[in-house]
Amino acid sequence: MEEQLIECDVLCVGGGIAGLMAAIRASELGANVVVAEKGNPHYSGCGRRGNDHFETWIPEVHGADKEKFIDELLKTAKGEILIGRDILRAQFGKAHEIVELWDEWGIPMRQKGKWEFAGHAFPGRMMTHIKYEGRFQKTVLVQQARKRGARIMDRIMVDELLRDGDRVIGAVGVHTREDTVFVFQAKAVILGTGKCSRLYQGLTPGMMFNDGHGGVQTGDGRAMAYRAGAELMNVEMPQRHIGPKYFAKFGQATWVGVLRDAEGKPVGPFVSEPDRRYGDIVMEVNKLAPEQYGERGRGPVYMDCTGISDKDAAYMRHWHIHEGNVSLVDHMDAEGIDPRKHPIEFSTYPLRGGGLIVANEKAETSLPGLYAAGDEAMGDISAAATFGWISGDTAVAYARTVEHGDVEVTRPIIAALESRIDELRGRGNGPDWEEANIALQQVMTDYAGKVRNEARLLQGLAHLRRLRQKVDTELMARNQHELGRCLEVHNLFDVGELTFHAALDRRESRGLHNRPDYPFKNPLLSQAHIVRMEGDRPVTDWRSY
Amino acid sequence: MPPIINPDLCIKCDRCVNICTEDVFFGSKKHETPVITYPRECVHFNGCVDVCPVPGAIWLRYPMPSMIVYRTSSDYRAPPG
Repeated sequence: MEEQLIECDVLCVGGGIAGLMAAIRASELGANVVVAEKGNPHYSGCGRRGNDHFETWIPEVHGADKEKFIDELLKTAKGEILIGRDILRAQFGKAHEIVELWDEWGIPMRQKGKWEFAGHAFPGRMMTHIKYEGRFQKTVLVQQARKRGARIMDRIMVDELLRDGDRVIGAVGVHTREDTVFVFQAKAVILGTGKCSRLYQGLTPGMMFNDGHGGVQTGDGRAMAYRAGAELMNVEMPQRHIGPKYFAKFGQATWVGVLRDAEGKPVGPFVSEPDRRYGDIVMEVNKLAPEQYGERGRGPVYMDCTGISDKDAAYMRHWHIHEGNVSLVDHMDAEGIDPRKHPIEFSTYPLRGGGLIVANEKAETSLPGLYAAGDEAMGDISAAATFGWISGDTAVAYARTVEHGDVEVTRPIIAALESRIDELRGRGNGPDWEEANIALQQVMTDYAGKVRNEARLLQGLAHLRRLRQKVDTELMARNQHELGRCLEVHNLFDVGELTFHAALDRRESRGLHNRPDYPFKNPLLSQAHIVRMEGDRPVTDWRSY
Repeated sequence: MPPIINPDLCIKCDRCVNICTEDVFFGSKKHETPVITYPRECVHFNGCVDVCPVPGAIWLRYPMPSMIVYRTSSDYRAPPG
């Protein structure tokens, strides 16, 4: 295999919203920037097809005191906030500037020249999300990054960080079409690899790409950060989403409707008639509602938009498309589904795991030279855009103070990846990535899923380790594409194993971490649950947010 | 399973091959009609359809298991007999 050395000041791993914003900012500050993206940055990440809502404080709308905005968010928290207030303060101190920048670059953030706040809202309370036309946002951001001189490299999956002493000095990755390994010598590395799909069984077991956020965000950043010694947090805390039953595509979308049961009674207390200003926030307050109805012998639960005006229907369709739900609109058209006539069944989507890389309000991780932004550090598009930008600032300030490290001192890590690649490509038979991934999803869903206890977690972990042994010695890749998938599966196994460890250590029930052997929430554990590697073992710790 | 290409209309411009993040067209040769090597990895985000310059040359078929469940006025009636 060929090996290429690429030198840069700042390496952005992942060309999603966070990675591109980091690249734009770092390039603007004069740094030599490379973005390594395992797909194509025009169509990668959660923002690939668009978005239609952006959470932000706008001083001229909300008043000069952003603390009131943050108070409102915390007061009406739609779930447990698993980050600190200083992070929110940094986000909303910058997000309104980002919104202006995007508008200037050609992503329409204002509607007819004005801010339009709608959706994701409690009637009568402060509105927190602007509507924006984000369908072509990725193309705009790619153009802005290139305009400032950033080099964007497609089809490169970065798989290991290179570390000299405490400091991260680069990364190594593989091309997913050609037999080439890329060694990046970078003064700073920014991780922005997104969510963690394919860890748990999806809506249709075995059809792993029927997933609300695409199928290739596989916790790569978390896994490589952990292997390099960085801290992760709350890995055991899963997430769930809600949406049209069986059609898990991009974004929750704009629904001018009310979530109702089969008899027509609203599921939540917030709205009783469709209202485009609010949507129905019960979907965010309790994403488990459809599943709970089912478990109690009730349901189905429908998104009921019947009877809305043609104008509201057109409004909904417009925002579906900007949210990235073109396929939803296409599918409904093809099947003759008309939301004005047909209530659409909603379901709670399956678990998604992964936790976060520990990063502070400057996007600094626990390792010098390593930064993280986007879904693997702070979640949602507003946070991804804002902390992407902030990470660019911080990484460049750091890069100015250091010389390049010598990647040759990390040769054992590079050699280990190359030898793993040789093994995966060299085996003539054995399980492929898909078989291994399905086995992992099975053990995660059954033993670290909706209900957990010590015995189940221990048994599941033991089984996962046996599977892991087979993965390490038998997995095979028929070509470079499957090689990339195999490396993703390795990363998913790492995140899966950490999930078991952290779930065993969280001896309480909280949110979606449901342990009947410790049925109560322990207020003393309202902290960040840290996991990091010591020697070759995970160790856990608790720390204030 | 998706995507589906009409070889008579495809102008072999490779745009769909270049933009697909999941790389379902892996193994396609430059300036030839793309091959769909990994259809199960399609996430149906329509990017290939978007970038295709020829209407009808490429389209998506949504797999049966992802078909939306919806209610019509007759769905709750007891079946005949």
